Amino acid sequence: MSDAASTAASPAPDASLLVIDDDGEIRDLLARFFEREGFRVTTAKDAREGRRLWSQGDFNLVVLDLMLPGESGTDFARWLRGQSPVPIVMLTAMGDESDRIAGLELGADDYLAKPFNPRELLARVRAVLRRSGEHGPAHATSVIQFADWTIDTLRRRLLGADGVEVPLTGGEFELLSILVERANRVLTRDMLLELLRGRQAGPYDRAIDVAVSRLRRKLEDEGRNAQIIKTVRGGGYVLAAEVKRR
Amino acid sequence: MKSPAWPGSLAARTALVLLAGLAVVQAVGLVIHALDHADLQRNVQMHDVAQQAMGTYRSLAVLSPADRLPAITELPRTASHSAAIEPQPPEDALPPASVALQRELAGEMLMVPVPTSLRPRDTVVLGRPGADLLVIGLRFPDGPWLHQRFELPPLRPWNSPSFLISFLLMTAAAAIMTVWAVRRLTLPVAVLAAAADRLGRDVNAPALPETGPSEVVTAAAAFNTMALRIRRFVHDRTLMLTAIGHDLRTPITRMRLRSEFIDDEALRARMLNDLDELEAMVSATLAFGRDAAAAEAASRIDVAELLRTILDETADARPACAERLSMAGPEHFAVTARPLSLKRALTNLIANAVTYGQAAHVRLGAPPQGAEGVDVSITIDDDGPGIAADQMERMFQPFQRMEESRSRDTGGVGLGLPIARNILRAHGGDVVLENRASGGLRARVTLPV
Repeated sequence: MSDAASTAASPAPDASLLVIDDDGEIRDLLARFFEREGFRVTTAKDAREGRRLWSQGDFNLVVLDLMLPGESGTDFARWLRGQSPVPIVMLTAMGDESDRIAGLELGADDYLAKPFNPRELLARVRAVLRRSGEHGPAHATSVIQFADWTIDTLRRRLLGADGVEVPLTGGEFELLSILVERANRVLTRDMLLELLRGRQAGPYDRAIDVAVSRLRRKLEDEGRNAQIIKTVRGGGYVLAAEVKRR
Repeated sequence: MKSPAWPGSLAARTALVLLAGLAVVQAVGLVIHALDHADLQRNVQMHDVAQQAMGTYRSLAVLSPADRLPAITELPRTASHSAAIEPQPPEDALPPASVALQRELAGEMLMVPVPTSLRPRDTVVLGRPGADLLVIGLRFPDGPWLHQRFELPPLRPWNSPSFLISFLLMTAAAAIMTVWAVRRLTLPVAVLAAAADRLGRDVNAPALPETGPSEVVTAAAAFNTMALRIRRFVHDRTLMLTAIGHDLRTPITRMRLRSEFIDDEALRARMLNDLDELEAMVSATLAFGRDAAAAEAASRIDVAELLRTILDETADARPACAERLSMAGPEHFAVTARPLSLKRALTNLIANAVTYGQAAHVRLGAPPQGAEGVDVSITIDDDGPGIAADQMERMFQPFQRMEESRSRDTGGVGLGLPIARNILRAHGGDVVLENRASGGLRARVTLPV
């Protein structure tokens, strides 16, 4: 994240992380990695130690492995949610849908499947910190409606009025989520790029327009007078629709 | 050796053998009956002929020779019988009747009471071998001959048409019952075959009901035991694969993190490359193991948009190939499927086409809305060299790869196609490979709506 000219608030350089993972080496490596990036890191090897450290410290974000010996990560996340709205980034078994959804339903803010890419974890942690700074500790609502469409953010699905899922690529989903979260606000391409980069690693520079046109096709919002995602003169987009959260 | 008259199915073969046997038995029975009946009829005919011949003779013999001629004209004349008085014995074109017939007629004629003084002096019987025309010459004691001609009606071996009809009805009923019984008897074989077919597609197919005749119960029980053993074997193997996959995640995660502390950019990039490859293998292995469990819930998904999304993602990942990706078919078409599984299956097929065939031309053939029981068909064509026909099915074996691709750096573990097929078969569909006439490989997917 070299271009610090971002519109969203950058994370506090001294943000404090609590990392809970049962593998000693991964703990140490995560600590070294995040410390190199300017975070303060405390590590715990299981839920019990995590609980003890939580009560002693003041943390901005928790990185939590769901597969813990003894008390499970989901139980710990539930306990933690009862204590505090602190953002949680989960590390899950690879592709294990049920784990992931269970974790997100407990109020985790994001997840990554092991084996994860450390830079992607860093990007997610920064994005979650930025979001929690932006509109408080409210974690994402799971079902959002706009126009005739419904987004299920837990299962990352877009459903039409007839309940039929319209598949989206990862990038399209992120873009649509950002537009819906900031409905009726104009977002320039640079803002979108910055917001997207916080979530999605990958080359996105020239792809915003492509992704928008694909989204419009899928939302059946094509043509010169697109009604849902409107083009703003001077280079930006706005999602113009009433948004309901459930 | 297979002749067209010899049917393939066990039921048809058994029925054919039984029906042929039935036909032979019925035919023999009919012949015996007919011969017997004809014999009886002939006896009656001979009896009647003898009675009439002797009756006529007697009624004329008692008259004086002068009165006989007028009397003969008063005899009732019928088409089948005529009489005349001649000085000579009958010498028609007819040969003499057979000895047996002559003897039989002579015996019958003896039965007719005639005074000894009036008995014929001589008897000549002429007749064709078929005995439909008889000429009997009886010589009066005073010299002249009485010629009588009998046209016998042909023998009717059948009493009546109703006999034949009832006989045919009986035969038809027996045939129908034979076919029905054979069908019933061979049904368990068909059930067993269907169960074996299901097991081949889905290891977790429900067990066979162990009911019916004892042989069928034994076969069903043996089949169920075999299915259980296969299931356990597959389950154990899947569990082992999944466990290895899970256990590899931790070291890969560590190595990823460790590579972040390598200062040499090139070395780090190469290491991350290796790790990506390793992770792809682990994730394919896990996907393969997980699909056996198939825990995902089914829902409605737009398969046309899904294919476009996969092509978009492929184009994003490999911009060099973007020109050679295409999609034809309806804009939208909803199917009931497990979305993530279905996406993985179709992604695997499209990725294979792009990796080994440098192109992916997708065609979605959707049945008309509301058409029941018609599958969606999806073909994915590439421009590659294709695959030898005898290798096609081998491609669906786990960890099988084309020999050339092992050495090339196209990578892969050899799970893409098995995973795709597992997923599609779990959906009630399938995928097969075929070479296109115009070159290149085609993956043909069927998927129930």
